[in-house]
Amino acid sequence: MGLIKIFTKAHCPKCPVVREMGVALKKEGVPVLNYDLDTIDGLAEASFYSILSTPSIVIEDEEEREVISWRGEVPTLQEVKQYLPRGIS
Amino acid sequence: MATVIEMKGDHQEFKEEVETTDMALFVRTSDEAMYGWDRQKIVDALIRETYVDFDTAKEVAREVEDLIATSKIKMITAPLIRELVDTKLIERGLEQARKMHTRLGMPLYDVDQLILHPNKENANVPHGPEATNLTLAERIKKEYALLSVFSQEVADAHMRGDIHLHDLGFIDRPYCSGQSLEYIKRFGLSLPNSIAMAKPAKHPEVLLAHMVKFAAALQSHFAGAIGWDSINLFFAPYVVGMSDQELEQLAQMMIFEFSQQAVARGGQAIFTDLNLYWEVPKHFEKVPAIGPGGEFTGKTYSDYLKESQRFAKALFDVYQEGDGSGRPFFFPKPLVHITEKFFQTPGHMDFLHHICDVASEKGNTYFVFDRGETAKISECCRLSFKLDQTDLEDAKQPWRMRYCALQNVTLNLPRIAYLAEGEDSKLFSKIAEFVEMVVKSHLEKKLFIEKLLSLGEKGPLALLAMDRDGSPYLRMHRASFLIGMVGLNELVQIHAGQEMHQSKQAFKFGLKVIAHMKLLVDKFSQRYGMRFVLEQTPAESTAYRFAKLDLKYHSPKSGHIVKGDISKGEVYYTNSTYLNNSAVLNPIERVRQEGLFHPLIEAGALSHIWLGEARPSKASLANFVIKTFRLTQNDQIAFSPEFTTCNRCNRTNRGLRSSCVYCGSEDVDGITRITGYFTKVSSWNKGKIGELRNRYRNQAFLGQKEEEMVLKA
Repeated sequence: MGLIKIFTKAHCPKCPVVREMGVALKKEGVPVLNYDLDTIDGLAEASFYSILSTPSIVIEDEEEREVISWRGEVPTLQEVKQYLPRGIS
Repeated sequence: MATVIEMKGDHQEFKEEVETTDMALFVRTSDEAMYGWDRQKIVDALIRETYVDFDTAKEVAREVEDLIATSKIKMITAPLIRELVDTKLIERGLEQARKMHTRLGMPLYDVDQLILHPNKENANVPHGPEATNLTLAERIKKEYALLSVFSQEVADAHMRGDIHLHDLGFIDRPYCSGQSLEYIKRFGLSLPNSIAMAKPAKHPEVLLAHMVKFAAALQSHFAGAIGWDSINLFFAPYVVGMSDQELEQLAQMMIFEFSQQAVARGGQAIFTDLNLYWEVPKHFEKVPAIGPGGEFTGKTYSDYLKESQRFAKALFDVYQEGDGSGRPFFFPKPLVHITEKFFQTPGHMDFLHHICDVASEKGNTYFVFDRGETAKISECCRLSFKLDQTDLEDAKQPWRMRYCALQNVTLNLPRIAYLAEGEDSKLFSKIAEFVEMVVKSHLEKKLFIEKLLSLGEKGPLALLAMDRDGSPYLRMHRASFLIGMVGLNELVQIHAGQEMHQSKQAFKFGLKVIAHMKLLVDKFSQRYGMRFVLEQTPAESTAYRFAKLDLKYHSPKSGHIVKGDISKGEVYYTNSTYLNNSAVLNPIERVRQEGLFHPLIEAGALSHIWLGEARPSKASLANFVIKTFRLTQNDQIAFSPEFTTCNRCNRTNRGLRSSCVYCGSEDVDGITRITGYFTKVSSWNKGKIGELRNRYRNQAFLGQKEEEMVLKA
């Protein structure tokens, strides 16, 4: 199953916006996983995707391949939706 | 001279009180003298060295005297008396006093073996009288460190093999360092305790001589590498107007001086790293250049790009040729920094091809990747320091850019997995326990070094305490404290049932372990206001030591886990966060996967590409380097070919062979990288021999056409 992975940190000015975006997408039924880089799981997952800055968003397809990512930048909700694989939007 | 007999303290007041026997017995002491028996000396030693009270000391001395008198012993030595005294202390349950009264030294048999046979703990150390001196001194200092510098808790953790305290034999030195040539350009060579002072050099050859002598002096004060930053750039103002021939001569002198200079640490070559840039690093662009005589030239370093590039090229010409018999130079190691600016600087592709040619032919080149705004100084097998804002401020006065790592301590990760017995929570809390123990060991070493430094220019670390620019040479506030790891692959194998290259889950679990360590280390840095950083331990002997100890303490499980050949004793754990050496992986994929750990390992990391006999084209290696820079997070890579050099006909051939392909002689030496440097295989420890047998050589992959070597990003 494809999904969205959101990477944030506690002290990061742009992170709250992305977290809110995640909440909005979840409400629409999009599978979203949140990772906090101040935690072990969050930092490990971020390392796996070479995420070096926050906030970052990665969209994966059904086979866990990266479709697109925004690293250290905040896309609009529309931009994110545009890349959601069929079946999850 | 810690003998019972040799005391020189003023203890006359006790002497008057005690009765001296008239035993006709002489004692051989370690200060090469024979003294008549004097029981009082035992009393004096106990009072001076321990906290026992005077009456107990007298009692112990009398008992020892009785024992000697009744034993009819013919020759008595000071060490024997000390042991007898220790027995009496143990009988009384005075454990602390016995510890304080310990004599450090070695058994006769061990010294005999040591003088006859080479030491394989460090493949760099040659076998000879100077090396023997080193090992003897190291043994005593090791014992001293474990008894006196570190707490028993830390010492026991080391002895058990939970952790490894590196370079205990060099306990009174910091670990490794990064230097700036600007220091000697500006201040000349004026060292504490030196019998002659030299003003700043006026000629390039003299500057080189100063550099080599300073490096030798520094090597006597550091256990590990001496790295030099931007060496081609800082030499540049001195080489203006030199012909190509003169420049090549200078480059040749530099490399031969550092490769043949066997002066410190038991007659080893100075462990030298030369950091080289094709461009003028951004932080030096506007910095006023220092030229002959230590004078500012009136130009900035940007104005010396051409000379800097010419010198870098000349150095690689020398590397390409190799030594007098065509072998690769083991030292100094050239580290070329690949940055965004590298690719914007004209001529970079020609230079890249040149250094890739050397990498394929001789293996010398290290490719250090400084992505984004990061600037780094590399100074060990894989150690590097990222420059922060204060460092970039210091860069305006580059002679201030002196760095060191005070100590390196490594965690035995497989040990943690054995202890955790498959429980996640136990595993992560054990990791925290082990990291905390390492932090404790760093605090203890720091305290000890600070004590030595506080004695200033009259103390044992005078060179590091010298003050020529308003701060001591060793800048403690910029010191790093390294926390290394061995056997992540085996930890994952024990805990998750698969090695890291075998599944995505296993690989991700490895990342989780290192992420945990990174977060812990950051917490401790905040708590103590010190720079604790993760490092990929080179683990030349530690990977072997941990495997051997785990076979002892965690058998039979460990027997299925350690790598190598148990029947031959050639056992090891996979170094640091590496994937299994024998795993068949496309090299670029290995570099990518191993590189995912590198951002977490702040003090530096490296991936090896074992070439074996393969000799890939310079274009294919250049392509590989560019891809590594652009598409991975890998910090540093090195390509390692293998050679056989003949001791009879002095010729060198590719590959590891049992006889010379030219003359058939079997008097040959194999040469390849052991960890972060080249050396002769005959000097390797058994663990590394086991690893060498298992290394997967990338002949097949690197033989492929360039276009096939694509990265699956």
